Amino acid sequence: MPSSQVPPLGSTAIDPTSARPPIDDAEIVRITPDRLRVTLQDFKRGGMTMLLDIGGVDYLARSPRFDVVYHLLALPLRAANVAQVGKPRRIRVLVGVEADATTVPTIVDLWPNADWAEREIYDLFGITFEGHPDMRRIQMPEDWEGYPLRKDYAPRGPAAERTPRPAFANKSNVPAGTPPSGAVSDALQREIAQARKGLDA
Amino acid sequence: MSATIEPVAPEVIEQSDDRMVLSMGPQHPSTHGVLQVVLGIEGETVTKAEPEIGYLHTGIEKTAENLFWTQAGTVIERMDYLSPLSNALCYILAVEKLLGITDNIPKRAQQIRVLLCELSRVASHCVWLGTHGIDLGAISIFWYSFDIRENILDLIELSGGARMHPNYIRIGGLNGDLPEGFLEKLDALIAKFPQRMKELRQLLQANPIWQDRTVDVGRLSAEEAVAWGLGGPNLRASGVAYDVRRAFPYSGYEDYDFTVPTRTDGDAYARFIVRLEEMEESMSICAQVRKKLVGGPVNYDDPKLVQPPKQTIAISMEALIHHFKIVSEGIRVPPGDVYQSVEGPRGELGYYVVSNGNNKPWRVRTRPASLYNLQALKKMAPGNFIADLVVMIGSLDPVFGEVDR
Repeated sequence: MPSSQVPPLGSTAIDPTSARPPIDDAEIVRITPDRLRVTLQDFKRGGMTMLLDIGGVDYLARSPRFDVVYHLLALPLRAANVAQVGKPRRIRVLVGVEADATTVPTIVDLWPNADWAEREIYDLFGITFEGHPDMRRIQMPEDWEGYPLRKDYAPRGPAAERTPRPAFANKSNVPAGTPPSGAVSDALQREIAQARKGLDA
Repeated sequence: MSATIEPVAPEVIEQSDDRMVLSMGPQHPSTHGVLQVVLGIEGETVTKAEPEIGYLHTGIEKTAENLFWTQAGTVIERMDYLSPLSNALCYILAVEKLLGITDNIPKRAQQIRVLLCELSRVASHCVWLGTHGIDLGAISIFWYSFDIRENILDLIELSGGARMHPNYIRIGGLNGDLPEGFLEKLDALIAKFPQRMKELRQLLQANPIWQDRTVDVGRLSAEEAVAWGLGGPNLRASGVAYDVRRAFPYSGYEDYDFTVPTRTDGDAYARFIVRLEEMEESMSICAQVRKKLVGGPVNYDDPKLVQPPKQTIAISMEALIHHFKIVSEGIRVPPGDVYQSVEGPRGELGYYVVSNGNNKPWRVRTRPASLYNLQALKKMAPGNFIADLVVMIGSLDPVFGEVDR
């Protein structure tokens, strides 16, 4: 990596997708939310039969702040052996979502498995999918506040939800006044020798 | 003395004469962990099934963002806890792609990775077979399949030091070479496996009770399986021969000769047969790896990425410095994003990994195979009996560490 690209440790403000090394993992399409349904409908008609996954990424300082990432796969429906499947086409659709307009149209009617994936993004990123039949939290409790996978959400969660450290964790397990370890060890050895004697007798 | 009988809190909410809402789980033994299914039932027939997940949500993706690239593998292994090595391999492959060192991984390391992943596939299918059998009242199969699993876990313990989450696959290679005695134990397992498989098949395959319970239950067509994003044996039992090992080969899978078992019935029995055949294919891959195993290093030779061997730290100043840097600061991965998938025991397991050039992953998104498999229950269950629901959940083989993450 050239040194000009190296960010300081712990820095947050950089868009990784702009400086992408050439990796052949999928065709990449970047669109805006209003083009989403039209684009995906076209892809579906064009033979992208399977919705692999929908994921979310929070870039925090970037505009648009979020990416909703769709992965599509072109699986033939009648493929009795691996040769007929071959190397199927894989497409990644990146949809930028602004921090102040976190709404994306749903695609549940195109692929039924988008249901839980969209609910999970709503749950963890707070991005709402317009037209989704059942838009509620899926992983977190229903009364949870905040969206855990956002970058401005503390890793241990809100202070009220944190498990307090148990009292014993703050104390040493060696009681005060314990002799230095050599003495303990000697005492132990003596005790063991005593016990042995008892057994032998 | 007349005792007043308190009304028992109804677990069942009555709606009308025949229709009820029944909550199955999350403590139900056949739900393989912590799944709750809210059922609409009419008599014995399920009219609507809504799985409720999230009881095991531990925020692994968030935790991984707060660990070094080198540390994140430890929590990622805990997602699909029945096949930790597939998870680790997929994440490590993604990181290696971002680092641009995919082609530099030594042949021996790749072979051992394949070997251990296939072994964990067999071990994972053993758990599925045992528990699926118990769900349906066939207890004996559990002891037979767990015998194989014990042997495999012993091998995994030998390789990485732990039975379940060895953290053995590391960025750039492996955590050390295989220990002495590993290959002998592997040979013994490969030799005994065909007989064991024969026993497993004898117990269930032609068993009329087993067939009564599984044939025609939870049927999904190829169109439905693809539309619901099913993976692995569940997809192949519906007649779509998609296997990531063949479609997008990784770690040298193109060198091995194996078939991808498929069925066209798409029911629970077809999934059972496909998994049994997969276990045999996996063991055959293990035998091929054993035969072709080459010598040489098991790590990419770059001290900036791979920890030096422990014994060199005491005698080499450079090794000590590199070790200190990797442990205290991690490694840096060039900015970029990558989607990497492997064929886990439950289907396409994928990681969408984003780096911003720092020493921690910016985002690790899992494509959880179990989540999409389990979701198809909504499609499968309506119109079937409650008792068959247990068969369906078992035949989909969900692992809740992966569903909830």
